[in-house]
Amino acid sequence: MAKTIVITSGKGGVGKTTSTAALGAGLALAGKKTVVIDFDVGLRNLDMIMGCERRVVFDFINVIHGEAKLKQALIKDKRLENLAVLPTSQTRDKDALTRDGVEKVMEELRDEFDYILCDSPAGIERGAHMAMYFADEAVVVTNPEVSSVRDSDRVLGLLSSKTRKAEKGEGAVPAKLLLTRYDPARVAKGDMLNVDDVLEILAIPLLGIIPESPSVLKASNLGMPVAMDEESNAGKAYRDAVQRLMGQQIEHKVLSPERQGFFARIFGRTA
Amino acid sequence: MARPEPQSVAPTSVVPFQIRGRSFTAVVLELTGAADAAFYAALDAKLSQAPHFFSNAPFVIDLDRASGLARSGDFTGLVRELRSRRLSIVGVQNGTMEQNTAALTAGLIPLQGGRDIALAGGTDSGGTDAGEAASGDRAATAIAGQAEPEHRQGTLVLTEPVRSGQRVFADSGDLVVVASVGSGAELIAVGNIHVYGSLRGRALAGVNGDLSARIFCASLEAELIAIAGLYKTSDDIGGTHLKQRVQAYLRDEALVVEPLK
Repeated sequence: MAKTIVITSGKGGVGKTTSTAALGAGLALAGKKTVVIDFDVGLRNLDMIMGCERRVVFDFINVIHGEAKLKQALIKDKRLENLAVLPTSQTRDKDALTRDGVEKVMEELRDEFDYILCDSPAGIERGAHMAMYFADEAVVVTNPEVSSVRDSDRVLGLLSSKTRKAEKGEGAVPAKLLLTRYDPARVAKGDMLNVDDVLEILAIPLLGIIPESPSVLKASNLGMPVAMDEESNAGKAYRDAVQRLMGQQIEHKVLSPERQGFFARIFGRTA
Repeated sequence: MARPEPQSVAPTSVVPFQIRGRSFTAVVLELTGAADAAFYAALDAKLSQAPHFFSNAPFVIDLDRASGLARSGDFTGLVRELRSRRLSIVGVQNGTMEQNTAALTAGLIPLQGGRDIALAGGTDSGGTDAGEAASGDRAATAIAGQAEPEHRQGTLVLTEPVRSGQRVFADSGDLVVVASVGSGAELIAVGNIHVYGSLRGRALAGVNGDLSARIFCASLEAELIAIAGLYKTSDDIGGTHLKQRVQAYLRDEALVVEPLK
């Protein structure tokens, strides 16, 4: 019986898709059968970040509308056997999502996988609502700056009211905070909020702190989830977050963003 | 301190009126029987004891135990009698549907809700006694002070953070939040508002016109606070009390914010 986790944020561009790919890859590396679903209809990105955009034939919307079977739309990752991607349509939009359609797809996936990760679009309208509706848990992705924190607060409110769990009276969908693009130097300068400030405002448990890292952009260009990057600090942080997601207690470390080393600067090497 | 203004009016045009909430204390007179000769006699006796007690106060007749008041003609007669005694009767309460309709025709307002409140002044014998029957058992009793038991209808207590975008309305009493309130959240209460955490959004207390309502919080970071319709934004409040334990209340029709010791 799978656990459904929605990766949401409210604010756009904070790292939901990157995190969905990274957490999905991390779970697959840990031996869990995982599927990642792109709910951002019309502005799909998950397939690109996962590196399978050239193999998309059928998508989530096709399955909802009965135009294709789920097996035809699911794309198995070439590198990790436990990982599958359900991409979404590029030509339709969020109105193509229906609650019954999404529910049926989730039911089918639940038997086959251990973890279902739903990559929510930004905003609080239909797409985001659909992504969170069937969730058992939530990961709220937040950048350590005021507008992202405010939007995440809004999303936490929605998780406690506009989800199936809440409607059934089972309370809010339990949410954990994933603080992304964290730069300790800017926090020290006061340009960014520090971890305690964000936790004080949002009052939810911390899943992980992902440092700002050039490896994220590299990974997305290569179509490889950053959790598979052995060297990068962001990758390490995501792998720790995956351990915590699976229930392990790991101490939170603030890793600094990778900077050019001293010798590299002397010898004039460019990135 | 600002008053609410209609938003759609251009700044240079003249607004012919302004609307705001305001509460006045009314004197409730509960009839225990018919508005007959004995009633008027008892009323006159009371008025001679304390002639200025009832003057200028809006008068409301409580019809719960009244008899003989059913048609608009009865109410018109009552109004005439009371007005001739310089009592400014404005409405009725606790009447039946028929009584309310008849009262309306006679120019009286059927009132609902309201809270008991101590009447100011009147320290002589006619003032605060709970009412005396002058003759027999069918007479008027004036309800003053706390003769009625206060209806303490539940306080709304929240123990989870109030998130941005959520609006909480405590419609029958106080609102207590044992957590923080998000910057996009709204707390609305008929009574007082207590926040044992950071108050970041908006808090509106005493929304039914209760001028004695207060707002208490452990850390003031609110965007707007209001009591009985009179409000101040974060800008108006200024930075002196930011993030402090404060209470806000009305003093002489001005919203004041004071640190709690």
